[in-house]
Amino acid sequence: MAPPLSTVAPPELDWKGDDVTIGDVLNALNEARRKFAYAARSEGDDHPHPRNCVMTLIAVAPDEKREDFALRSAMDIATHHPSLAIVIRDQPNIRQGLIRATVSAHPVSGPFNKPAPCELVTLHVHGGAGSHLDALVDPLLVSGVPTYLWWLGTPEFGSEELHDAVKICDALVIDSSTFERPYQSFIGLANLVDRSHKRLGVADFQWVRLTPWRETIAQFFATSDRTELMRSISEVGIDYAGEGRGNRVAAALLLGWLASALDWKLQRAVAGTGGVVSAIYQADGWRTVEVAFRSVPRSHLVGGEISSVRIAGAAPSTSFKFSIERDPDRERHGEGGEFRRVHTTGGEDEAGMEIARRRAEKHRDVVTNNRESLHHTNTGDPPGESVPAQPTVLPTERRRADTSDVMLTKIDIGDARTLRHVQRVPEMSEAAMLLELLSGRARDQVYNRALGRAAELMRKL
Amino acid sequence: MSEVHAPSQTSLRGGEGTAQLNPLAEGLHDYRVADASIMVIFGATGDLSSKKLLPALYNLAKQRLLPAGFAVVGAAIDELSDDQFRKHASEAITAHSRTQPIDPTVLQAFLQAAFYIKVDFGKLDDFKALKHKLEDLDSQRHTGGNKVYYCATPPPTYETIAEQLKASGMTGNPGYDRIVVEKPFGSDLKSARELNKILQGVFHEDSVYRIDHYLGKETVQNILAFRFANSIFEPVWNTNLIDHVQITAAEEIGVEMRGGYYDRAGAMRDIIQNHALQLLALTAMEPPVAFDANAVRDEKVKVLRAIRPIVDGDVAHATVRGQYGKGWVLGERVIAYREEKNVAKGSLTETFAALRLYIDNWRWAGVPFYIRAGKRMPKRATEIRIQFKRPPHLTFGREAAQELDPNAITLRIQPEEGISLRFGAKVPSAGVKLRSVTMDFEYATSFLVEVPEAYERLLLDCMIGDPTLFTRADEVETAWTLIDPIEAAWRDDRPPLHIYDSGTWGPAAAAKLLEQDGREWHRP
Repeated sequence: MAPPLSTVAPPELDWKGDDVTIGDVLNALNEARRKFAYAARSEGDDHPHPRNCVMTLIAVAPDEKREDFALRSAMDIATHHPSLAIVIRDQPNIRQGLIRATVSAHPVSGPFNKPAPCELVTLHVHGGAGSHLDALVDPLLVSGVPTYLWWLGTPEFGSEELHDAVKICDALVIDSSTFERPYQSFIGLANLVDRSHKRLGVADFQWVRLTPWRETIAQFFATSDRTELMRSISEVGIDYAGEGRGNRVAAALLLGWLASALDWKLQRAVAGTGGVVSAIYQADGWRTVEVAFRSVPRSHLVGGEISSVRIAGAAPSTSFKFSIERDPDRERHGEGGEFRRVHTTGGEDEAGMEIARRRAEKHRDVVTNNRESLHHTNTGDPPGESVPAQPTVLPTERRRADTSDVMLTKIDIGDARTLRHVQRVPEMSEAAMLLELLSGRARDQVYNRALGRAAELMRKL
Repeated sequence: MSEVHAPSQTSLRGGEGTAQLNPLAEGLHDYRVADASIMVIFGATGDLSSKKLLPALYNLAKQRLLPAGFAVVGAAIDELSDDQFRKHASEAITAHSRTQPIDPTVLQAFLQAAFYIKVDFGKLDDFKALKHKLEDLDSQRHTGGNKVYYCATPPPTYETIAEQLKASGMTGNPGYDRIVVEKPFGSDLKSARELNKILQGVFHEDSVYRIDHYLGKETVQNILAFRFANSIFEPVWNTNLIDHVQITAAEEIGVEMRGGYYDRAGAMRDIIQNHALQLLALTAMEPPVAFDANAVRDEKVKVLRAIRPIVDGDVAHATVRGQYGKGWVLGERVIAYREEKNVAKGSLTETFAALRLYIDNWRWAGVPFYIRAGKRMPKRATEIRIQFKRPPHLTFGREAAQELDPNAITLRIQPEEGISLRFGAKVPSAGVKLRSVTMDFEYATSFLVEVPEAYERLLLDCMIGDPTLFTRADEVETAWTLIDPIEAAWRDDRPPLHIYDSGTWGPAAAAKLLEQDGREWHRP
């Protein structure tokens, strides 16, 4: 897995322009490249430093915060992969048709302290230009290397603009766990994959977060004596946090992966109250696989996250049960579950500060904990259907960047004693996940198949 | 003899074939997993175990590559309890793990599966006690009788351990039994054959894993990828276009704490017989039909067998041996080899060896392979350089091409792992002037992933049952067939041992070896 990335200081600008054309931007970029090539050459070398570029990353950011995040991620990536990053933000306060741009091409220190060119272009646009991304960025793209379109936020699935934009890309990068209308957008994503050109890949942060679950399940069935068990699965249970169909995306994607890999056919599915979903699949043309989703509140998880998976079955020779629990101990021993001492180390002053801090936390938590229900009351959407467009309370943001977890696997085969296996899923920042996606998961047919099967299930609920 | 088990097909590489075996593995890249097993480390309190094996196992656990139920049992002469061994393992991992800081959850889970038993290799009763311990663990941890015996001990103990394993009834039971031994595999052809015979008397050849840790390095494996996953290199990879090949394995360090061992082995046995010949085999072999154990190793053996042996009078002309004297390395004054600890004062052991080899087959006829390996060189560098012939005609004239060197491909094994291609380009100017430029690929800047330790890869391969990156008995024996006549001539002082200054690229005779062919060593 990708290592966590460092934070790189913002770049010094080579060029900045208001009301410019893409031709101006291209000229500025070429000039910046020329300067870099001479600045980065080795001592005593008459020749310009050769230019290297492994990809063009186009990031579409809906707001300043995410624009900043995209810029920093692009620079982090450039420490490993020389690349061109184009960050685009639609700014309503800019006159329609006007382009405000910046260009920089500076060396960032990578491994062995060798300078790698990091080319950054920011484009602030509004209206027509922004609606035609393909025309806007096409002249800037680096020929012969892949182009990735990273959409921070929720793309307008179904729109012609998005359809045109993906035409110039090799892969669309999204995070289906941060969609503002998770259910509708997820279905829209599945439709886009159906409609788009065959070489378009879709890279989903959600898929990276599911990797440890997939690996652990695959690992259980990998050994030679368990192939038979894989063909005798009769029950699958997935617990997730939150309620409503919008929070079932991860569970559906995981189940979609199982169903597509093992060639299960969906027979029927029904959603009940309290987040319960029951589905019946047919395997091998005759065998029934019962699937149940449950919404299980876990204080440390946010809506949509999976907390456990259970798989059971009975082969002719033996029966088995296999479960994976995420952070099994956190609720008992974590921050929220245990009583903290008021008097820490320093007498009354510290105790008073501690009480004040806790009160502040309590009030903040009231808002935080009720943020989504307030939103649903306000919008009329059922729980899980949509989220506040711009969350302002950070401590329990809907989907965390952090994926660090302990996973406890329990294995029961036949009458043998339960085998427990503890594994740690390393922490990954979103920037590291992005790099992981771009480093080989951008055209994952397994994801496409899982997405199709997940959408099939979601449409029935 | 232990029951023969075909390599268990449990790799989760996500390839097409694997997906048929485990469809859930598709798309999971290099995620691989082994059947649950117990690994017994003989010499578990020694250096190799502490610096390499235990940290490698911890890192496998951290990457979630150890199967549920896996256990490690330390076996050594020291009197330790399980808890004392866990403390030792914890300290070793903390000090030597390539990934830092240590993850306490992973470490704790790993240590819970670590056990210890005192074993005196000469006492059968100790092996019987070990057997009982393994049986208990097997029933608790569902390991199906699968066991890996890792000999992290001096080579003379391999035979004793193998025989005691057999005598105590620890082989031939349900599940697989595999034994891992470290180089050197014997000290000459005769001793290698004897060792092979003993190991094969207890284990099937498929269950004997001879570790040459060079083969676990990503860059070494990449030689095969470079050659056989690309279509543009293989057509030029032959005598028609290649002038010669240079293989360099240079170290800046001296013998350090290994004086006793090294004084008996020398550069020829320590590096050339195994690492360097393996690099040569991978560079020169024909394409295997598949990347599997027998296909790859068959081709390696074929090319090793095609090497023209250097015998009798040829040894003086085709080989060079040297020993480092005092000098300066990396800005520090260093002592001569003969002043090193545990080295005989009048030692004639070579710390530098250079050879010129020819491979008598269709592909390589007439192409010399120059190999050199040495200690106390100016820097650490292992690389393979493929030097191409000059173009048949100088289109731009002699003057324009004055600064133009022939094309070359350099495969850098360590450090700064990567590949560079040298080619000619026109210098921007009004006239026509050509100069050599290089195109570089660097592992560190081209892939996101951290390069795993060779031992992590090799330990996992062993548990999975994939011996592709391990040396087969016939490879070892073929290599010794080439080395023995040279060693015999060297014992007769043909050619004489040259003393070279530490911090240089070996004796002047090594440079002459190429100069007499109109070539020169590439400076790494």
